[in-house]
Amino acid sequence: MVFSSLAFIYGFLPLCVLLYYATKVMAIRNLTLLLFSYLFYAWGEPFWVLLLAFSSVFDYANGLLIAKFRGTWKAKGFLIGSIVVNFGMLAAFKYGGFLYDNIAYFIKLPFARPEVDLPIGISFYTFQTVSYTLDVYRNEVKAQKNFVAFMMFVSMFPQLVAGPIVRYNAVEDQLLKRDFNWDRIWSGVNRFAFGLFKKVFIANATGALVGKYLDTQLMDLTSPDAWIGITLFSIQLYFDFSGYSDMAIGLARMFGFELEENFRHPYAAISVADFYRRWHISLGRFFRDYVYIPLGGNRRMQDRNIFVVWALTGLWHGASWNFVMWGLYFGVFMLIEKYSMPVLNKTPRFIKHIYTLILIVFSRSIFYYVDFGQLQEFWRHLFYGRAALSEGMVLDLYNHCFLLALAVLLCIPWDEIFPSAEQRLQPAYKWLSLPAVIAMMLVSTVLLVGDTYNPFIYFRF
Amino acid sequence: MKASKLYTPLVFLALLAVPIAMLIGEKQSISMDEKRKLAEWPSFSWEDWTSGAYGAAIDDYFDDHLPVREVVMHWADGVKYAWGVHPVVAERKVVVKPAKREPLDTSKAGSDSARMNYLNDFDESYSGEMLIIDGAVYTQNSGNPAMSPSFAKMLNEYAEKLKGHTRVFSCVAPLSSAFIPVEKYGHLRQRNKSTLEAIRDNLQGPIFCDVMGEMLLKQNQKLFFGTDHHWTARGAYCGYVSFCKAAGFAPVKLEQMTRKVKTGFLGSLYSLTRDATVREHADTFEYFKPRIEASAVRFSESSLDRPMKSAVFCESFRGSACYMTFICGDAPLIKITTGVKNGRKAAVVKNSMGNAFSVYLISHYEEIWVFDYRYSKHVMLDIIYDREIDDLIFALGMYGAMSNGTIHMMRKLGEGGVGMRPRRTESDSIQSDSLIPAPSQIPAAPNDSVIPLVPDVIDKIENDSNGE
Repeated sequence: MVFSSLAFIYGFLPLCVLLYYATKVMAIRNLTLLLFSYLFYAWGEPFWVLLLAFSSVFDYANGLLIAKFRGTWKAKGFLIGSIVVNFGMLAAFKYGGFLYDNIAYFIKLPFARPEVDLPIGISFYTFQTVSYTLDVYRNEVKAQKNFVAFMMFVSMFPQLVAGPIVRYNAVEDQLLKRDFNWDRIWSGVNRFAFGLFKKVFIANATGALVGKYLDTQLMDLTSPDAWIGITLFSIQLYFDFSGYSDMAIGLARMFGFELEENFRHPYAAISVADFYRRWHISLGRFFRDYVYIPLGGNRRMQDRNIFVVWALTGLWHGASWNFVMWGLYFGVFMLIEKYSMPVLNKTPRFIKHIYTLILIVFSRSIFYYVDFGQLQEFWRHLFYGRAALSEGMVLDLYNHCFLLALAVLLCIPWDEIFPSAEQRLQPAYKWLSLPAVIAMMLVSTVLLVGDTYNPFIYFRF
Repeated sequence: MKASKLYTPLVFLALLAVPIAMLIGEKQSISMDEKRKLAEWPSFSWEDWTSGAYGAAIDDYFDDHLPVREVVMHWADGVKYAWGVHPVVAERKVVVKPAKREPLDTSKAGSDSARMNYLNDFDESYSGEMLIIDGAVYTQNSGNPAMSPSFAKMLNEYAEKLKGHTRVFSCVAPLSSAFIPVEKYGHLRQRNKSTLEAIRDNLQGPIFCDVMGEMLLKQNQKLFFGTDHHWTARGAYCGYVSFCKAAGFAPVKLEQMTRKVKTGFLGSLYSLTRDATVREHADTFEYFKPRIEASAVRFSESSLDRPMKSAVFCESFRGSACYMTFICGDAPLIKITTGVKNGRKAAVVKNSMGNAFSVYLISHYEEIWVFDYRYSKHVMLDIIYDREIDDLIFALGMYGAMSNGTIHMMRKLGEGGVGMRPRRTESDSIQSDSLIPAPSQIPAAPNDSVIPLVPDVIDKIENDSNGE
């Protein structure tokens, strides 16, 4: 099931909220949320519910055992078991085919290529459970004894299939005690409606245009078409993923949880490093805390650490060399920025912003084309294609100019530019929030009816 | 009172009101706008659940049964229009997405589905890029001269079999691409022409109707709809005139018929493009009724035993269904009986383009048998011999003459047809919950009596058919 489906908005969600708040007993609320989360997951992938349940139960037990045998070799054994089993699952389901292809390139393998569908959300929930056992092992959090609460932490439907990656320590206190707060629920509704609007109104619409330029016969692609196409894809990707994160954060608030932000106006970044402090923040933090810092961080072999982190970040996004290349691309620019810091510091902010945008937009091509042949062909047209405007491009821009202008406006970090504005607008928010929510929900519903183009891009990770 | 305390329950009540309205509201099974069957509430099976099909089917149900869905879809067009400015551009291209989900089930004779199926043959061959010029949609399909010999060969075979008994006519209509009012698309016109000429040049026995030649004489008139892939009544009249010339009849002038008009016709091409400028240029649906008494019955796909009452003109169809005014839409076989007591009989082999053509024939024949080669499994040659048919007329849009599949269907029609869909068993029909009962559900009537199709539809038909 996806958030941006009518069945979710008008069926699943209100029913879940209604039953959730039908009782004041936290244990029953947690159980309700757990059951709805499993229903949510099973909607499209009933079989893989078993994998989710296994991962949850396994690490629930590991957490308890690590706590019980803290300080002994057994605790380390259970931690290693957790890491091996979780990443083993990830490797088998996500990277099995990729590994096979690469080994089979050199030697003939005696068995056929494993053809397994990627269970939705596996990249997210395995990271969550591993982070939990690691944190328990490091004694940064207590092992959760309440089975239902732990199962709910792993499977909570707002963040189950496409993040944000929720660290256990961020919600530990909220698992068993959540205050009922009208303002929080209402702010969750607002955030959900805004995320839905971003997804349906902007991401879906730009996505329909992206296909026109990037899925077309590449030989017909002119250079401006290629640039417009990949820029539109950058817009689509941001509004799709950040829209999903907004919905996740909003939904979590409706049930009393406060999740961390996953995006902070990334297209306002002034360097690649700055960009990744603003984009998919929960993933960046995971790699920082569990890979980069344990490897030595900036104290020991920083260049190597940066490359390792970025290669892994690339691989996390997909089992394909183009994703590794995409990760290393950013690793290289991270290093360039690190060594040219004195120059960058003197560069005007506007220039740095343009430089970052060009790098980011260009990197989307590596993200878009999994096939290297297609990617090379695309680059050829991007840089050496005809400089002509294609017949429909100008018209497409005319026909979507307000939409694109709105997308650009929403990329601007108004809260950073006018830090006191939020407080000053608070009285108006009180009156405007209801019409705004109604308008956003209505427009999104209207666009969802009869529209078949509705994928979430990050579902495939 | 806190605003949030008021707003939050309000919003959730509004969300809950939607499924409640879906539960108690009137159920629709067909989308007239999209010309497709709407999703039904799935019956649960463990197999569907484990495959994810059950959940997907519920998603589809929600998508298809949102209250006031068709109104909301029009709002969606308005929202999309508001995305930008729309400079006056005489010409542009749009890409049409593949049709959504289940198309109409055309296998049930007499069902609403069968009446609305005219999109199907078109849909399969025309999705892709379309031109919008001055608010009218044109496909860029323009025929295929390479297929013409095959089509002509099939007609020649019929002419050979029916030699001395029945005349065979080829009345193939060009596509709208032949009449794009922009010079640079002249090659599309030429290709239409070449396709038809190649048919003519390969005919040995059948008589060729120069439909395109007649249409070119009247190209200042509106011969094709701008929002639908069919020809207009005037376009079909050109086809009729060309047939009369070929057959040696004097065509009835349009002025001698009763002119009627419906407004606001948004047809198949609008459904496919859902383009706001096209919607602004909704067609006026004009049609001409010969002043001849005529009645019609339709048959199921393979049996003549259970005729169902129909009409030559179903005038109650409006909006996106206007084109079904002609012979009430497609059916495997329709028999028209007229007040022209001249003993002449005709058989028409057609796709949906032939619907608008067939109605003009009532001025010349006492009996007209209209076969839809896509759905009929009747043994056409038996009927031609049994009923002493004088003329066999292949009256169809060119897309029917451009593929081996459709030519094969027409060839097989002589001995029983293939139909587009597998033959259904009686139990299949009973289990289906189409709006209109399957023929097997209708009680048998004695002898040749006519069985009503379904009360509300037949009421409309009878009201519409006064005086025919």
